[in-house]
Amino acid sequence: MHNTLTRVQNVFGFFTSVAFAVAAGIAMSVLLSPQAPSASLELKNVQVVKGRPHYYSTKREEYAHVKFDLDADLTSLFNWNTKQLYLSITASYPSSDPSTIPPSEAVIWDAIIPSDYAPLHPNTYIHPASKAKKSAKPKKKESGKPYPAGGSPGIVRLENQKPKYQITDVSGKIAKRGNATLSLHWNVQPWVGALVWTNKNSIGRWQGLQGGEAKFDFPPLKGTEVKKDDLKTETGGERNRGSPA
Amino acid sequence: MFGSLASLQPRQLAAQVLNFALVLSTAFMLWKGLSVFADSSSPIVVVLSGSMEPAFQRGDLLFLWNRGQETQVGEVVVYNVRGKDIPIVHRVIQRFGGGSTPLQLLTKGDNNAADDTELYARGQSYLDRSQDVIGSVVGYVPFVGYVTILLSEYPWLKTAMLVFMALTVVLQRE
Repeated sequence: MHNTLTRVQNVFGFFTSVAFAVAAGIAMSVLLSPQAPSASLELKNVQVVKGRPHYYSTKREEYAHVKFDLDADLTSLFNWNTKQLYLSITASYPSSDPSTIPPSEAVIWDAIIPSDYAPLHPNTYIHPASKAKKSAKPKKKESGKPYPAGGSPGIVRLENQKPKYQITDVSGKIAKRGNATLSLHWNVQPWVGALVWTNKNSIGRWQGLQGGEAKFDFPPLKGTEVKKDDLKTETGGERNRGSPA
Repeated sequence: MFGSLASLQPRQLAAQVLNFALVLSTAFMLWKGLSVFADSSSPIVVVLSGSMEPAFQRGDLLFLWNRGQETQVGEVVVYNVRGKDIPIVHRVIQRFGGGSTPLQLLTKGDNNAADDTELYARGQSYLDRSQDVIGSVVGYVPFVGYVTILLSEYPWLKTAMLVFMALTVVLQRE
């Protein structure tokens, strides 16, 4: 009854039960942490040009390039159980048959913002330095952190930001489509428990996202007068050069 | 060890075997019940690669839910490449279709520079939500699944564990 094997078994069983209970408690406790996220998203420039998906492709598709301003305060999303925040800006536009097919959506920009307690990883967002400060003090470097200098995780302030990915439709045509929307989304990755996505409505102590949307229309196809600088995508400071899978 | 086995009556031996079989079948039925509840062929998966770091590391356990056919951009889905049996956990970055047409998704791992177009089968540019996707990640437990990665990378561990479990069942006479 009291041999070593039984004791080891009992201790291990108890350890597993306690670990499970603590994990469940942590996962449920996030409901008690109040949230009040807010953001303002503004479209600065949108152009539609013809391009190729790869340099060796023969088909020419229409690509849309946008530039946007983002001012977000998502610090309340970071609680004790937040490992990281996946922030994304998606462009959604109506499909070829809006009555039967829902709008298409594509991510144009994303950022992984870790909590301060998460172990360091190269694939995390590096917040660009503010442009206004750059002109006043040209020697000021960007903070190297996923938030602006003096801020905390969840504060994002971008001006005239180029996207990371280009917008294209599966049919190859995107010019002159109306009713498009740029919107901000997030995905909170916990240390343990359920993943949560953007909530627009308030649930208990969690208030919905205020703002974070910008409506626009895709302009007609631009000819040759487009500036090359406007077409560039910007990958950002983070290093994610892993090969697929 | 065989001495203790030989001293068992046939009825006690049969009871032991039945006990063992009950434990196995309960575990199996729990798994299958969860599969039906989540409507997924594999409702709990272990992350095998580092393509979603820093969100998911190798060895993390993911809980899947397959009843939400309206997969949104930004959700993390697990899918099988057509013709292969390797589940891949990546994030949806584009969606087209839905409604009367099949919902098509493009995925990309957070830690990859390019999207998954190279990973899909030949001639396939997008995933079909109803056919290729096993489920969408709704819950996450870190590290717990590393045991299964060890078991698959060191096959002798599997045999060792089975022998150990058989020994403990036989040697305990409760």
